Amino acid sequence: MIDFKAQRARSELYKNIRSFFLDRDYLEVFTPTLSPSLIPEPTIKTFSTLFKNEFVGEKEFYLIPSPEIFMKEMIASGSGSIFQISTCFRNSEQLGDVHNPEFSMLEYYTMDFTDKDSIELTHEMIKETAISNPSWLKNEPLIITMEEAMKEFAGVDLLKAQEYEYLRSEAERLNLYVPDSESWEDTFNRIFLTYVETSLPKDREVYLCDYPSQIECLAKDYPDRPYKKRWEMYIKGIEIANCYDEERDKDKILSYYKREQDILEKERKATGEAISKADFSFASLDMPQCSGGAIGLDRLLLTEYGGDEIAPILSFPMCSMLKTE
Amino acid sequence: MIKAGQIEKGTALLIKGQPFLCIEREFVNPGKGSAFVRLKLKSPATGQTLSETMKSQDNAEDITIEDRTFQYLYNDGENFAFMNVENYEQIEVPMKSFEGYEYIMKDGETYRLTLWEDQVLDIQVPSKVVYVVTETEDAARGDTVQGVTKDAVLETGLKIRVPGFIKQGEKVRVNTETREYLERVND
Repeated sequence: MIDFKAQRARSELYKNIRSFFLDRDYLEVFTPTLSPSLIPEPTIKTFSTLFKNEFVGEKEFYLIPSPEIFMKEMIASGSGSIFQISTCFRNSEQLGDVHNPEFSMLEYYTMDFTDKDSIELTHEMIKETAISNPSWLKNEPLIITMEEAMKEFAGVDLLKAQEYEYLRSEAERLNLYVPDSESWEDTFNRIFLTYVETSLPKDREVYLCDYPSQIECLAKDYPDRPYKKRWEMYIKGIEIANCYDEERDKDKILSYYKREQDILEKERKATGEAISKADFSFASLDMPQCSGGAIGLDRLLLTEYGGDEIAPILSFPMCSMLKTE
Repeated sequence: MIKAGQIEKGTALLIKGQPFLCIEREFVNPGKGSAFVRLKLKSPATGQTLSETMKSQDNAEDITIEDRTFQYLYNDGENFAFMNVENYEQIEVPMKSFEGYEYIMKDGETYRLTLWEDQVLDIQVPSKVVYVVTETEDAARGDTVQGVTKDAVLETGLKIRVPGFIKQGEKVRVNTETREYLERVND
């Protein structure tokens, strides 16, 4: 059964989002869905397909897991602030609840902004574009650092936990299983996912800021603290958005890509999976100071429209398409 | 051994030597992180629940549990004696693992038992059961109005409160979890 009310709600939400950004002089951009290369991201599985042409021959293309690489090229070429609503794809995703391998993403970059500036913008955008008046929107957002959240919900001192042995002993104190050899990031995630993420308030937007530097990404580092200028936002316990103060240092970007590519190749070789063609070209771009955010629009719509899973608002979720085969 | 990513609702696992059943499973991908599964586990023996987060690639020790039909014979104060209705083999289950079950199980009645190897993890007593009232005083005239309750002893020895109008020898339906009276049953 197709829920046309949900279709109308989505259409209204998209219209409101477009107006919000256009009114603030952002340029709406349109970038490809098929790409001949990808940013190396070992934790993301991609879809690939073959381009066939009698002159070019066969060439592998990928369905984009995010439009980031194209949008950053536009920014480096002088676009100014931009936004895009696009369809993205992630393979091996769970079906149902709040996951679908094909999903809708809003990505927005604001010139001269930091990640902290983007909190205010994002909250304003969500408030102004909402298609309903859900109870979580009536409360002021909670802005909390990862250091504070780890202390409050797991009793873990994140600064002390820079020392792996301490982090590990804390995980064990919390009754978590930790294998003999494990990365800092994985042990941290065991604690975070079990005790912190599940305890975040569900009655308001929660902006969880300043992620540990050990979780590598293209957000800037704080000069004086082992954290990155990055936040994730949750509504009703669901991860809705993430945002960076975008890294501009070309050497850092290139070495990050190379490390990620090494991990990707090592992991995929072990499992026998195909290795997608990597693109490092972005590392040579001149990135201006900006903050980039990405919002899962199916999930945002769900929190405004109501319900516990995204399948009903998708009209054709993959889980039901598979059942009717 | 199975990979944590293969655990489903209902999968039985051995955690630190104790059997647990998976009652909830959720895949989580922390931003920029590897895939994890968040599990809620329940010990069928103690009812204890446990939250566990594992990497999809972590190994987990899965165990095979099965349900079998047994007849409850008696208890000797320390053990419950059951008989497997398929092969007539008798087993003993320590009463301290299933506290108070002597008051809700009826002699001679059959129950589904959840077993892991020789260990009984669960005795499945239906949530609503009809019992005969073996002892209760007749209500004083005028005390049969609604809301007035009195003590009663059931055929299993279970003591509960029943409405004033219930008479000795009558049958009542009882919630076996809360051990509370639900309704009178007329044959």
